[in-house]
Amino acid sequence: MAAIEELISLNNIVKVYPPNVLALDDVSISFREGEIHALVGENGAGKSTLMKVLYGLVPFNQGNIFYRGRRVRFQEPGEAIAAGIGMVHQEILLIPEFTVWENIVLGSEPVDQWGRLDEERARQLVGEKIQEFQFHLNPSARVEDISVAARQKVEILKLLYRRVSVLILDEPTAVLTPQEIPLLFAELSRLRASGHTIIFISHRLEEVLALSDRITVLRKGKKVATVEAGETTRQELARLMVGRDVLFLSRRKPQTPGKVVFKTENLNFVNNQSRHQLHNIQLKVHAGEIVAVAGVEGNGQFELVNAIMGLNQPTSGKIFVDTTDITQTEILERRRLISFVPQDRGKMGASLSAMVMENAMMTHHRLNPRFILWKGLLLNFNYAQIFTDQIVDRFKVILSSKFSPFRSLSGGNQQKVILGRELLLDNPFLLLDQPTRGLDVGSIEYVHEQILRIRQEGKAILMISADLEEIFLLADRIVVLYRGELVADLPSDKTNVEEIGRYMLTGKAIPE
Amino acid sequence: MTILSGLLRGMISGATPILLAALGGSFTFYAGVFNIAMEGMMLTGAFFAVLGSYYSGSWLVGVLLAVLGSLLLALIFILFAVVLKTDEFVTGIALNLFAVGATTYLLRQIFQVKGVFTHPGIHPIPEIHIPLVEDIPFLGQFLSGQNLIVYVAVLATLISFYIIFRTPFGLRLRAAGYNPACLVSSGVPTNHIRAYSLLICGVLCGLAGAFLSLGYVNLFSENMSAGRGWISLAAIILVNGNPLGLALISLLFGLSDGLGLLLQSYQVPAQFTSMVPYLATLVALFFYARRGRRKKRFEVI
Amino acid sequence: MIQKSINGILGIFTALLIGAVMMLAQGFDPLATYQSLFDFSLFRSSSLATTLKNAVPLVLTGLSASMAFASGVINLGQPGQLLIGALFVTLGGLYIDLPPILMIPFLVLMAMFGGALWAGLAALMRRAFNMSEFIVTLMLNMIADFFTLWAITNPLKDESAFSAMTPPITRSGWLHEIGAFNPSILIMLAAVAGMWFVFNRWNAGYEWRITGQNSLFARLGGCKVDRNFVSIMLVTGALAGLAGGMVVMAGPHRFLRGLGANYAWDGVMIAIVANSGLIATLLYGLFFSIFQTGALGMELITNVPSEIIVVLQAVTVLVIVASREYLNITLDRLAAKRRARERF
Repeated sequence: MAAIEELISLNNIVKVYPPNVLALDDVSISFREGEIHALVGENGAGKSTLMKVLYGLVPFNQGNIFYRGRRVRFQEPGEAIAAGIGMVHQEILLIPEFTVWENIVLGSEPVDQWGRLDEERARQLVGEKIQEFQFHLNPSARVEDISVAARQKVEILKLLYRRVSVLILDEPTAVLTPQEIPLLFAELSRLRASGHTIIFISHRLEEVLALSDRITVLRKGKKVATVEAGETTRQELARLMVGRDVLFLSRRKPQTPGKVVFKTENLNFVNNQSRHQLHNIQLKVHAGEIVAVAGVEGNGQFELVNAIMGLNQPTSGKIFVDTTDITQTEILERRRLISFVPQDRGKMGASLSAMVMENAMMTHHRLNPRFILWKGLLLNFNYAQIFTDQIVDRFKVILSSKFSPFRSLSGGNQQKVILGRELLLDNPFLLLDQPTRGLDVGSIEYVHEQILRIRQEGKAILMISADLEEIFLLADRIVVLYRGELVADLPSDKTNVEEIGRYMLTGKAIPE
Repeated sequence: MTILSGLLRGMISGATPILLAALGGSFTFYAGVFNIAMEGMMLTGAFFAVLGSYYSGSWLVGVLLAVLGSLLLALIFILFAVVLKTDEFVTGIALNLFAVGATTYLLRQIFQVKGVFTHPGIHPIPEIHIPLVEDIPFLGQFLSGQNLIVYVAVLATLISFYIIFRTPFGLRLRAAGYNPACLVSSGVPTNHIRAYSLLICGVLCGLAGAFLSLGYVNLFSENMSAGRGWISLAAIILVNGNPLGLALISLLFGLSDGLGLLLQSYQVPAQFTSMVPYLATLVALFFYARRGRRKKRFEVI
Repeated sequence: MIQKSINGILGIFTALLIGAVMMLAQGFDPLATYQSLFDFSLFRSSSLATTLKNAVPLVLTGLSASMAFASGVINLGQPGQLLIGALFVTLGGLYIDLPPILMIPFLVLMAMFGGALWAGLAALMRRAFNMSEFIVTLMLNMIADFFTLWAITNPLKDESAFSAMTPPITRSGWLHEIGAFNPSILIMLAAVAGMWFVFNRWNAGYEWRITGQNSLFARLGGCKVDRNFVSIMLVTGALAGLAGGMVVMAGPHRFLRGLGANYAWDGVMIAIVANSGLIATLLYGLFFSIFQTGALGMELITNVPSEIIVVLQAVTVLVIVASREYLNITLDRLAAKRRARERF
C-alpha cells in the first residue's frame, strides 16, 4: 500500500498560555493534501490554539512542525501565507471602512511607476479572482455594507489572492444561516476539487460529518482520535468530544405561560450614526415563558438589548416590564426589574481586573439593604463576602479565592458568577444574550438547566442566541429579527430549523 | 487694510508650527498610535535648531539638527511604546517632561543662561521672495515673502495627503489604525508601520520646532512650545486626521493667535490675549462635540 | 506587592545609573553628586523635615491624578487647579482676617473650593456639551496660568515688590513649623488616609473604581456614571487646589510668579509610576521629593545643574512603567515554561 503524503504534520505540540493554562498537551496530528479535515472539540479543547500555533500567531513550548517534508516554524502569519497556508479566523478580521478590493490587496498592493496605489489594476485583479472562484462579490462595495456571509468570502478570497493552497477555517458556520451553510460547503468542495486542502474547525457535528473526509477530535488539550467521516456517527463524536454520552434531548416540559411580564409597543430606533435600526418592534414575554430571538448578527439585536437596558433611547415607542413603563427610566431603576446576562463577559458583564467578590456584588450594592451601612454611604464588606460565598455555593463555581481577579476564572465559571449575580436579584424578567457562547459542554448543560429552572419558577425570559440548536432546546416561542424588524413570531413546536433559517436569511417564509 | 494684513500675517505664522506638528501627529493618529509627544518633539526641535544655527553659523544645519533632535525623541518613543509595549499615554507624558527638563538643563549647561537664550549669532531661516507672485495686488504680500518653512508646510500638507490616501503605505497605515490584527493577518508587521509613523512625526515636529526658534522668533526660551503640541492634538481630533482639514483648522488657530496680538493694540492685557488660542480650541471642541461622536480610533476621547 | 517593590527599586536604580552616565559625560563626579543629593534630602538634621514638606504638593497632586485615572476620568488639569486653589487662598488671606484656629481651616477650604471650581468647569463642559475633559483640562491649565499671571500683575500686585507677586497673606494663615516639621505634612497624610477610605470603603468609591476599570459594566450595573464623573472631578480638583493652598500657606505665604512650578505635572507622573495606587502615590511622591529637595543642595556642592533631576524623574518613570509590563510578562512566561515541563 502506497504511503499517503502528509502535507502538514504537527508533532508532540505542547502549548501553555502564560502563566499556567495548558492548552495543548502533546498533540500530534497530520493533514493530507487535497482533503477536507475537520478539527472538533468543545470550547476550550484547543482546536483554535493548535491552528494558531501552526499559523505562527502564537508560539509553542515543545514539539515540531513539518510542511511539505521540511521542518518549519512560522514566526508570524505573513510567513505562513508566503508558504501557502492561510487562516480565516472566527472573528472577521476585515476593515469595515475599506472596500472589498482594498481589504483583499492589503499587504500585496499593486503599484504603478510613481509608487502610487494602482486602484484600477487592483480592482481588475480582484475581479478576476472573484470570477475564478465564482464568489459573487462586488469589488467596490464597502465591507461594512455587505452581508456577513459575503464578508467571510472576502476573507477567503484574500487568502486565495495570495495563492494559498491550504485553507484553515475557524468556526465558519457560526455566523451563517442554515441556508447559507450548504453554499459555503459547495464552495469548499469546489476548492478541494481544484487541489486545495481545507482544515475546518467546528463544534457542530452534523456539518462536520456532511463536509469532511477525516475528523480529528480534541478534548482538554489532548488528541483523542482521528477517524474517517464515513465510519463514525454524531453520537460517537460527541462521546469522544466530551468523554461521556451526551444527551441531545430537551428537558423542557410544556407549561402554561402566565401574565405578560415584558412588552414593547411600537419600539423604533432610528439613528444617523448607527447603521442598524429597529422598526416597530412589538414583542411580549409572559411569566414562565422563554422567548428566543433568532437572527443573523447585526440585524438589530444590539440595538434591542441597548434599548431594553437603557443604553440608548428609542426614537419612539414604549417598553414595559411588569406593567411599569421603563422607556425613560434610568438604568438603576430598570435593574429592579430586569436581570441581564450580556453577550460579552469582558466588555459588559464584569470587570476582569476587579476581584470576584467585587464583580458579584454589582447592582446588589445599591439594591440590597444588607450591603449598605450608615445611610447608604458605607459598604458592608462583611456581607459582601457572605453574599459571594452564597453564589459560589449555589452555582458551584470553582475558584481559588473570591479575592482573586475575575479573569483568573475559566469562562464557564465566570458565566456562573454572572448568572448567579443576576439570578439572585430575583427579578421578574431576565434578558440573556448568547448565554452559552464560548462555554464547554458541561457549563452549557448547567446554564441550560438554570434557565429552565427559573422558567419553572415563573420568570419571563428573553434570550438572544445565534445557536439554533440551543433555541429549539429551550424556547417556547421563537421570534426572528431581520433588518430591525420582527418578521416571525412562532411557537417552537410549530416550526423547524429550516423555516427559521429562511426568515433569518430573507425575512420571509417563502424560499426565494 | 494694515489691520487685516497684520492679522493675516499673524495667522500664517501662527498656523505653521501647529500645522506641521499636526501633520506629524496625523500619521500616528491614522496608525492608531496614541501619540501626545508632539509638544516635547517640537520643543526639542526648537532647542537643537538654535544650537545648530549658533555653532555652525548656518540655518540649514540648525534645521537638520532640529529634525535629528526630534527624531531622537521619536526613537525613544518607539523603544518604549512599540518595542517594550509601554502604555503610549504614559510614554508621551514622560517624554514631554523629559524634553522640558533636558532642554532646560542643556540650556544652562551649554549656553550658561536661564530662561532665554538670544544672540545675534543665531542665524534665522530666510524668507523666500517669489519674483512674479509678489507683484500680485493684495495677495502678493502673503503668497511671497513668507518664511521658507511656511512653504515647506504647504508642501508637507500635499505630500502627506498623497502618502496617506494614494500609496500602499498609506493604506497599511490606515489599516493599522482600524484593525491591527487584520494587518498582521495580511502579513504586514504592524509594529513597523507604527514605528514609521512615529519617525515621520519626528521629522515634521522637528521642522515645527525649527520654525519656532529660527523663524517665528530668533531665540530659545524655556518651554517655548507653549502648549502648541496640545492644540495640534486637538486639531487632529477635530478633523479626524485629514491633512487638508488640518491645514484649514491650523489657519483658524493661527488666526486666533493673530487676533490675540490685535487685541493687545486695543489695551487688552497681554495675559488675556495670550489665552485666545486656548479659548479658541475650547470653542472648536464645543462645536465638534455637538455634532455627535464620530468613529473613534482611541477610546479615551 | 513584592513585584511592585522590585519594579520600583529596579527603575530608580537604572535612573540613577543613567544619570551617573550623563554626569560622567559632562565631567562631574556622580558619587559625590549623589551623596550630596541624599545628604541634603535625608541625612542632615533638617533635611528629612524639608523633604517631607516639599513632598506635600507632589503627593496631593499625585493623589488627584491617581484617583482620577483609577476612576476612568482623564483629569490632567492639576496645574491649573493648583494655581486657582492658590489664588483663592491668597484672596482669602488678603481680605479676611480671623484668628489662626479659624483662619487655617478657612483657607484650606478656600483652596479646595478653588481647585474644585476649576475642575468643575471642565466637568460642566463635559456634561453639558459633551466636550472631552482630556482637552478641556489641558486648555484650562494654560488659561489659569495666564489668568493668575494677570491677577498678580494687576489687581493683586504688591507695589513694593520688584517682580510680579501679591502682598503676603495675613500671618494667621501661615503654616509655621512645629519643631522641625510643618503641619502641611499632617494635612497631606490626612488626605491620603481620607482618600483611601473613600475609595475602598465608601459606596461611591467602589463605583468609581469599577467605572475606572470598565465603565460600561458599571453603567449597566446601575452606577450613575455621569453623576460620579462630576463628583470625581470636584474631589480631584479639590485635592489639586489643596496642593496650591499648601504651597502658599507653608511656603512663601503669597502668590508669586512660578508658584506652581512643575508640581502638578510631577503629580501626574507620580500617579503614572504608582499605577494609580494610593499608597504607592504617597511613596513615590516622597521619593520624588527626595530627588527635588536634594537637587538644590547637590548643585551647591558639585555644581551639577538641578534641572538634571527633571530628566532623572522622567527616566525613572519610563523605566519603571516599561519594566512593570516586562516583569509581568517575563514572570508569566517563566511560569508557563515550568508548566509545560511538568505536564503530568
